Amino acid sequence: MKKTLNINIGNSIIHLEEDAYEMLTVYLNEVKHHFAKNADDFEIVTDIENRIAEMFGEILTAQQKQVIDIQDVQSVIAQMGSVKDFESSEEQEEMAGNYHAMPPHDGIKKLYRDTDQAMVAGVCVGLGHYLNIEARWIRLAALISVFIGGSGILIYLIMWIVIPRAESKSEKMAMRGEEANLRGFMNSHLNPLVKQSRGFIAEFFEFLGNFINGTGKMVLKVVATTVVIFGSFILLMLIIGLAGVFGMWDADVYNNFPFSIINEAYFSTMVFAAFIVFLIPILALVLFSIRVAFNGKPINKTLSYGLLMVWLVGVAVSVFYIAKVSAEFKESAEFAQVTELVPHKTIVLAIDKTRFFTKEDSVNYKIDPVNYKGRRILSDGRGPFDQPRNMYLRLEKSENGKMTLSENYSAQGKTFETALKNAQNIHYDFQQVDSVLNFSSALQLVKQANYRGQEVSLALSVPVGTHLKINRDFNSYLNGYNFWDCYENDDQEFSEWVMTDTGLKCLSEHKDADSDH
Amino acid sequence: MIAENTQTQMRKGILEYCVLLIISRGEIYASDIIAELKSAKLLVVEGTLYPLLTRLKNNGLLSYNWVESTSGPPRKYYLLTPEGTAILGQLDHTWQELAYAITTSKKGTDLESETQINLTKS
Repeated sequence: MKKTLNINIGNSIIHLEEDAYEMLTVYLNEVKHHFAKNADDFEIVTDIENRIAEMFGEILTAQQKQVIDIQDVQSVIAQMGSVKDFESSEEQEEMAGNYHAMPPHDGIKKLYRDTDQAMVAGVCVGLGHYLNIEARWIRLAALISVFIGGSGILIYLIMWIVIPRAESKSEKMAMRGEEANLRGFMNSHLNPLVKQSRGFIAEFFEFLGNFINGTGKMVLKVVATTVVIFGSFILLMLIIGLAGVFGMWDADVYNNFPFSIINEAYFSTMVFAAFIVFLIPILALVLFSIRVAFNGKPINKTLSYGLLMVWLVGVAVSVFYIAKVSAEFKESAEFAQVTELVPHKTIVLAIDKTRFFTKEDSVNYKIDPVNYKGRRILSDGRGPFDQPRNMYLRLEKSENGKMTLSENYSAQGKTFETALKNAQNIHYDFQQVDSVLNFSSALQLVKQANYRGQEVSLALSVPVGTHLKINRDFNSYLNGYNFWDCYENDDQEFSEWVMTDTGLKCLSEHKDADSDH
Repeated sequence: MIAENTQTQMRKGILEYCVLLIISRGEIYASDIIAELKSAKLLVVEGTLYPLLTRLKNNGLLSYNWVESTSGPPRKYYLLTPEGTAILGQLDHTWQELAYAITTSKKGTDLESETQINLTKS
């Protein structure tokens, strides 16, 4: 079975086999090319075409067939004569000045893209033919130029657009600097002789298609294999992670941020739903990649729909619980209490990193709370993740000459009442020991509770003239002061400040200022 | 190379003359001209004839009529114009001169009769 084409030649419709069509097209193009400089080219070519049509008609009636094949075209061309035959008989015609047989090229090289030997679009091979250099060196240079600034890609694209591709056999011969003759066509009629002229865009997409089919397929497989390996790894991590979260469940994961956001009642469901939400897309990706990488069978339809359903359920459950938990942050409430402190000429601000000894501590540190008489232990980190800072301090000028500490407790909740309850659940440790004010680094909860944005914001009112020695540890709890400029040397434990009418001033800065004057 | 050139030139001049001679016998289709030229062993390929006919036509030596064909597109039937006939007369004269020159050059003056026979054959 062969593909046939219909052509209209000399006003007759002729059915041609595809290769016959290609050969005829090459021949007619050559003939047109040959007579192009002749004033009567149109008439001559029409005469020739008419005659060819007639010969085809004769062949079809003589052989009782319907389609012209390549042998028929060959015999017609043999009868009509090749362009080379025309040339030899017309060599002297130019002397008459009437017409000049224009050979398309006589051994002169022309720059074409060689799409037959192309890696991409044949620019490098074409240049190689033209410059008589092996294509591999030009390719190497092009590749290097890509890595040096990438200009090579742009140059390549421009050349791709500008340089025509060698389409006909004669162009291919001109590209190699060979003299064109029809014998070449006769011998190589099995090769694709002519590709249809197409625009750059069409050619580019054709190339892309070929690339994806060939080289691209390789690359795709490598990518797919990588995805399979990494995807499987992530899947494994997810499963281990899930087991880990549930394994730690009985310990204190729940009390640590960010797990403490989720209500205990929702915790297991929500973690499991989240697990499904992440697991299934990765699983699908891995299955798909396996199929791409190893040409496997498509995934069972029931299985894929099942996975999709499970995933949707997981998403729905997650969204439901996220909404539910978010609702618990809807209202906020706060209350304040003011403590009067004993004023001193110089006060010391220190961070106390100890805290109540809790039940979880006894688990973590294997200390029996019954035998442990002390109330506090040194605090270490605050769990696997950093808890958001929940203690803020402001230093203010006291208007009434008294030193006071105002503690403002705030929290969020589903309703104002629950928010207020959450705020009341806050315990904050503050102690004055003579001139030393010990601030706890974080608030604590009286009863175990979820994280609901619990915060303590403190305002220390200091009478004018009071000197403050601020511990280094305090720096990150006080915003808006330039502590680093206030140290006289790097390992000083305290920076010294004084409260003035206009606010807090660094003492060492004062000294600097004084010495300057 | 020189031999080839001379051959081509000779053949070319004679080709034109022969084409005019063939057409002078009456209205004729291009492929019939070719058939006759082929039997006279003068022409190898058809493609060469079409530019020649077109040139002769454009120089006013030939004209053609379109004649409907049963086996394809309408055909061009060529015939001589009066000018063509006049020029053919000149060419006849020239050819006789040339034939005389050649036979004389080849075999000497006494073999004139043989040349006459050759001429009528062609």
